[in-house]
Amino acid sequence: MALANLKGRVAWIFEDEDFDVDQIVGVKNIKIKDPKELARLCMAAEEPDFAQKVRPGDLLVGNHNFGYGHPHYPPMIGMRQLGIAGVIAESFSPGYWRGEIAMGFPQVACPGIMGAVNRWDEIEVDWDSATLRNLTQGTELPFEPLSDGDQQMLEAGGIVGYLHARDKEEAAT
Amino acid sequence: MGFTIAEKILARASGKGAVRAGDEVLAKPDFVIAYDFPGYTDVIFRQMEEEFGIDKVAEPERFALFIDHMVPAATTAEEELHEITRSWGKKNNVPVYERKGIGHQVAAELGYATPGAFVVHFDGHISQLGTFGTLAIGVRRHLLEAFVKERIKFKVPETVRIDITGDLQPGVTARDVFHHIVRVLGPRSCRGMVMELGGPGIASISLSGRQTINSLAMFTGAITAIMNPDEAALAYIRERQRLDIDPLFSDDDATYHARHTIDVTDLEPIAVIPPSPANTRDLSEVVGTEVQVGYLGSCASGRVEDLALAADVLEGHRVKDGFQLNVIPTSNEIMEEAAAKGILTRLIAAGAFISSSSCDYCFGRMGVMRDGQRAVSTGTLNVRGRMGSPDSEIYIVNAAAVAASAIEGRIADPRPYLKGV
Repeated sequence: MALANLKGRVAWIFEDEDFDVDQIVGVKNIKIKDPKELARLCMAAEEPDFAQKVRPGDLLVGNHNFGYGHPHYPPMIGMRQLGIAGVIAESFSPGYWRGEIAMGFPQVACPGIMGAVNRWDEIEVDWDSATLRNLTQGTELPFEPLSDGDQQMLEAGGIVGYLHARDKEEAAT
Repeated sequence: MGFTIAEKILARASGKGAVRAGDEVLAKPDFVIAYDFPGYTDVIFRQMEEEFGIDKVAEPERFALFIDHMVPAATTAEEELHEITRSWGKKNNVPVYERKGIGHQVAAELGYATPGAFVVHFDGHISQLGTFGTLAIGVRRHLLEAFVKERIKFKVPETVRIDITGDLQPGVTARDVFHHIVRVLGPRSCRGMVMELGGPGIASISLSGRQTINSLAMFTGAITAIMNPDEAALAYIRERQRLDIDPLFSDDDATYHARHTIDVTDLEPIAVIPPSPANTRDLSEVVGTEVQVGYLGSCASGRVEDLALAADVLEGHRVKDGFQLNVIPTSNEIMEEAAAKGILTRLIAAGAFISSSSCDYCFGRMGVMRDGQRAVSTGTLNVRGRMGSPDSEIYIVNAAAVAASAIEGRIADPRPYLKGV
């Protein structure tokens, strides 16, 4: 099974290095569980109509060590509810990375991304060639290929699907 | 070329002669540890049964559960969560350690920190078992894999080696050493890698201090920390360790991603400024800042030497009127020792509020702050809202500085209070 390429607009660029994702919905909202309410809160403190501007398939772009601190799941639950299809960053904090990959949410480590896109550019993540294309600017950048384990987890849609796939694999051998 | 201790442990755990950083292996954790927390253990137990049809884990002796958050329960929902954990443990014949202290510390006391062992937890602060040469990694939701499968898929990490030289001055602690590492090397210096510490500066730090340093590894971006166990570490764990395996050590010619040497001779107490664990400064830069709350405890700090140091600072002084000083020993074993040594009596006499061991003061369940309040804390983290209102602030400092600040009601340098002690 191959991963489908991601193709969408850059809905937001997180300029801060070591960005704490809890800021996306605000710490005071971090215990909210309802995806729709979380979706409404995403970036609302920065841009009240962010939720209306996002289209399914859009992507987020981050700087170095994205997800540093003590990341919780609700911010990206909200982003996925809005249709955000993945995050591309210069690099990721490993705890955040593991958590979101386990949720089946694509994360792409792409050194140079911050200098390669503007907000609302149309970009494409081509998994097979490990290339990020900026369709608006006509440029491209290589990104770091996924490990086998991470790739399998994304293909399976998260940890539960991945473990079922391993069950099948082991039953077949 | 030789191998790092992390590579050797993962080679052992995956049943291979040798593995190198970058290899993806199927490794069998020697121990799978978790504390009960909504969204983690309850979900794992449910998914095991409903998704995978697994009634019971195959090797219960490999599993350990702790009830250390929400202790004592304040709501029926919390007590119900604990009961789910207790009954799952009973059904599975898996030990549930309740009211013994903070699990990451108790796991060492109970010998899960076996030198050479591979341990997984969902929580990254389990890295502190690295004090004893155990490779202990917080894998978040991937922990489900360790409950469902004997082996977990794991990419062998690279290692950053950090040698510490020099001895610490009075009033400067292991806590400051860790934050200094973040200051010097940066919050992503060990990103995705193992932080291996050694050198004469580590040898002269107590095991408690090493646990402090290793517990905080994640704030360098590391997936865990580890030390090659010396005689002190092996002597502590020998009678406690749960597996009869040989300790492992990095080879002299091991391959490291990077090597650093950091001298701590002239290190001063540090303050980590809100709202990020990356904001490290000399304490002197924030001395005088008004604070209303002090927290001495957590899995990082709150061991006997931290409590003794705070008691020394408070000797002949009292906590300022209106200041809330909460002191929570990291485990019952520690609390008992601190009581036997008279340390708790001294702290109480000085005006400290002492609570039995619990994680609850660290993550904003107990001792919470309202808008505008400010704390000095030895907790793990200073992000917004960690100890209550998102509009309160946390300055992370060492145990001595918490005590000195409690006397003055503002952030204070503990060193003048330690003269003549």
